[in-house]
Amino acid sequence: MNDQGKPRLIRFYEFQPVEKQQELVRSIYKILCSRAENVSNFVKVDSLFGPLVYKTFATLYFVFIFDNSENELAMLDLMQVFVETLDKCFSNVCELDVVFNFNKVHTILDEIILGGQVLETSSSEVVMAVEDISKLEKNSNSIIPSIPGWQGR
Amino acid sequence: MGSQGGFGQSKEFLDLIKSIGECRSKAEEDRIVLREIETLKTRLSSPNTPKFKLKEYLIRLLYVEMLGHDASFGYIHAVKMTHDENLLLKRTGYLAVTLFLNEDHDLIILIVNTIQKDLKSDNYLVVSAALNAVCRLINEETIPAVLPQVVELLGHQKEAVRKKAVMALHRFYQRAPGSVSHLISNFRKRLCDNDPGVMGAALCPLFDLITIDADAYKDLVISFVNILKQVAERRLPKSYDYHQMPAPFIQIKLLKILALLGSGDKKASEQMYTILGDIMRKCDSTSNIGNAILYECICCVSSLHPNPKLLEAAADAISKFLKSDSHNLRYLGIDALSRLIKISPEIAEQHQLAVIDCLEDPDDTLKRKTFELLYKMTKSSNVEVIVDRMIQYMISISDNHYKTEIASRCVELAEQFAPSNQWFIQAMNKVFEHAGDLVNAKVAHNLMRLIAEGFGEDDDAADTQLRSSAVESYLQIMGEPKLPSAFLQVICWVLGEYGTADGKYSASYITGKLCDVAEAHLADDTVKAYAITALMKIYSFEIAAGRAVDVLPECQSLIEEMLASHSTDLQQRAYELQAILNLDSHAVKKIMPMDSTCDDIEIDKSLSFLNGYVQQAVENGAQPYIPESERSGMSNISNFKSQEDHESSTHALRFEAYELPKPVLSQNVPPILASSTELVPVPEPSYVADILQPAISAPSASDAGSSELRLRLDGVQRKWGKPTYSSPTPSTSSNDTVKIQNEATQRDSVGMSNSKTRDVSYDSRKQQVEISPEKQKLAASLFGGVSKSDGRQPSSSQKISKPQNPTSDKSRAAKAAAPDTASVKTSQPPPDLLDLSEPSVSSSAPSVDPFKQFEGLLDLKQDPTPVSAGGVGSTEASDFMSLFTDMSLNVPTDGVLDPMPNVINGNGLGGITAADHSVQQLNKGPNLKQALEKDARVRQMGVTPSGQNPSLFKDLLG
Repeated sequence: MNDQGKPRLIRFYEFQPVEKQQELVRSIYKILCSRAENVSNFVKVDSLFGPLVYKTFATLYFVFIFDNSENELAMLDLMQVFVETLDKCFSNVCELDVVFNFNKVHTILDEIILGGQVLETSSSEVVMAVEDISKLEKNSNSIIPSIPGWQGR
Repeated sequence: MGSQGGFGQSKEFLDLIKSIGECRSKAEEDRIVLREIETLKTRLSSPNTPKFKLKEYLIRLLYVEMLGHDASFGYIHAVKMTHDENLLLKRTGYLAVTLFLNEDHDLIILIVNTIQKDLKSDNYLVVSAALNAVCRLINEETIPAVLPQVVELLGHQKEAVRKKAVMALHRFYQRAPGSVSHLISNFRKRLCDNDPGVMGAALCPLFDLITIDADAYKDLVISFVNILKQVAERRLPKSYDYHQMPAPFIQIKLLKILALLGSGDKKASEQMYTILGDIMRKCDSTSNIGNAILYECICCVSSLHPNPKLLEAAADAISKFLKSDSHNLRYLGIDALSRLIKISPEIAEQHQLAVIDCLEDPDDTLKRKTFELLYKMTKSSNVEVIVDRMIQYMISISDNHYKTEIASRCVELAEQFAPSNQWFIQAMNKVFEHAGDLVNAKVAHNLMRLIAEGFGEDDDAADTQLRSSAVESYLQIMGEPKLPSAFLQVICWVLGEYGTADGKYSASYITGKLCDVAEAHLADDTVKAYAITALMKIYSFEIAAGRAVDVLPECQSLIEEMLASHSTDLQQRAYELQAILNLDSHAVKKIMPMDSTCDDIEIDKSLSFLNGYVQQAVENGAQPYIPESERSGMSNISNFKSQEDHESSTHALRFEAYELPKPVLSQNVPPILASSTELVPVPEPSYVADILQPAISAPSASDAGSSELRLRLDGVQRKWGKPTYSSPTPSTSSNDTVKIQNEATQRDSVGMSNSKTRDVSYDSRKQQVEISPEKQKLAASLFGGVSKSDGRQPSSSQKISKPQNPTSDKSRAAKAAAPDTASVKTSQPPPDLLDLSEPSVSSSAPSVDPFKQFEGLLDLKQDPTPVSAGGVGSTEASDFMSLFTDMSLNVPTDGVLDPMPNVINGNGLGGITAADHSVQQLNKGPNLKQALEKDARVRQMGVTPSGQNPSLFKDLLG
């Protein structure tokens, strides 16, 4: 989510109806806004959900929400892993990359977290997997005859 | 623009995002999105749209839904796309369905087939994509459809697939443990996978399994330890390193698992000690992740069978955390501390300053965590400080959810550890005042009952004291606007019951106040009902005492208003009150016995007082009552007892009227009961006279309420009883003395050992003095350790001399405090608390105010003090001292030592300064003086370890 409360990428691992999603996003934004700088990156909002870890990268808030079985600091670093991976994939990731390629970001996230569990924690492994996918997709793209055409449309 | 990586988008999409990004208002954004939805709707459903275009539309649809708009019309297209042969389209389709659908969605059934097919694909990316969808979309019913393939995939050659298969299986387990229970061994197998990624993934399900049943996996302890060792020794591929730490996430997961396995298991724990020690030593505490591991190690150590070495290392690590500037680390430090504290409570002491720092921190998260810690380390010696702090914090926050939680915690702690009833009442007052509508109604009843029952010991004087102090505090609080309803109810009840009991306030004063309350809360029927019942009680007490009752005009108008109330309950109460006002004192005395709430108002279920009547009736030829169960034979009245339950239950719903106690009947029942509890069933028409109305009032007003209370609160009562005081915890020693002296003063028995002289000067001024010394004394108990462990400067000899004077002071402080804490309403927090809890501030600053308050007092006090300081006092003090040291020897933990430094702290402002003054001036009892000086210094150091003597004490000490 960016610093104006616009969601850039949302992923739920337990199904939430759309309205609930929006409500959560709003409340999270409200919480994050009210937090001063130089305070801890952890928030606990029992009324809505479990512990929340957030981190600011430039104009983006990265927010992970998890249950009590996770180590807060480790989550903070998982976020770092995620961002590093994004950075590797997009070379100098910025908010716009996330906005315009959010399906790719989803793919990356899928490689790191699956079904709500941390799957892979090595960013280079993730990058490799993602590159495999995009390579293959490129190949399959080229199979589609009209590719050059639709780029132009 | 970020279109690298082959995910190119069309201009339309870019424009969409751009225009949304430039929106100024939500309405504008909505308009754009709605237009987009329309476009997408027509395009998606048009049959001519090329597939690759569909993909983009779908992505746009995802975007639209992320912004919170309904995109359900496109779900079916997402499903269709998963069927596509093209990998890119297929993946997009899968992505869309995983984001759009939940596992119970109707469309899932259309996907299962595709998933099945894809899981068999030879392209591993297709398989991965399908597995991703499996994790999200498969529900209990569809598990069997894909289970065989998933299990097969556990042996797939690609580790990425194996990994995901493990996860999928784990997901199945979470969804429906039964469906995969025979496959759990697969997780163990995957633990031995060559690929660390797969192994790491297998840790997740194992962690879950072990959480549920650790015993079944004890055999894996060695494997886990070995893996951890390998990881820690960097035998994993370099790619898993993160910030120079070898595979930290795997380490953390392993540590979590080990913590579970080692918990309460000495043997298993022993296997882990070495590796844990190694990791903790190696941990690089400069990086975030290193600290994360360190923290996890502490958590692990705290759940293992205790090992002194590791505990020490953990304590060191914690102190590093707490001293850190980073809020994150301090947060973790607090959390770790609260874990470790269960095993070794003494460790908290070293960190008290840091903890207090965290409490003062602007960061809310940190604060809450700290309160959690405090909550865990509360004991009777420090409960006052902690609860006080909590209340302060509670007042400051606006989040109702958390407010409720912290209020209930306050209540819980106060109930469990309250050192005195007065204090309890005060604490409760505050909780009610600020969170009254959020706390459980039970708490209000609890409070009323406590006031009614007092100590539950044979100390009427103390009880009376307690009540009048409660009354006094309520009368003060009442004036404040916007009190919560529950609190007002308590206030009304207490005022009604005890408002005039001590004769301090006139009935008209109290009734006036009550009328004010009722008038100020016109909308709240419950409060009004409480108020009018209270009025009734007051008037009836007045009448019973034979005094003339003059009903205030506002009260009269209130009654009239109530008589016409829409609420029948209010109406009834008003009528009752009116009726009572017209009765003579004798009748009223019977209806409303003074101070009867404490008496057990037993509902005489057997209606035994009717025996006479029944007998008479039977003699007159009436049929004896036969319970239904015995209808066939029994007809003997002597069996009445066995019938009692039946009888009462048959009458239970017909209590329409009550009778006045009649001498004849009440002979069967203890007099008190008779007056207020006789419940006479309807079929006694002869007694239903015009007195009937008032008669109802007794049970309905005071009894209904109080008997209700009694029923509910039995459990809590125990907490309040003697056991708390007589329990062998170290803290009791201080409590006991406080209590003893407490009672002593209340009886005004001046004969207490060394307190004779001072009593005189105190008694007159009790009401003003009491609160701060008492509070201060006990307040410091939480932080007492600070001066010892953090200050460190005081040598052992100083330590011994330290307690010496405080004891004498303490007794005084306690005495002063004893009269009651409740009577004075503290608008400001106890000064010493501030002083101690803000170590960064020089201690003199916050304490100035309270000082001034006491100044007048101190001067007066100097007369008596010399006597004790010079002659008797010092010796007695040392006697006292030896008493305390004895205790401390017996109980070698912090508990006993605490109270004494506390006393120093506590008295520093009120009590001790008095002593300071007098001792200084007289220069008698050199020991005492020295000790005092040291105290001041020690305390100083405790507070600001590097600080010099504050100016305050310079003044005092010359």
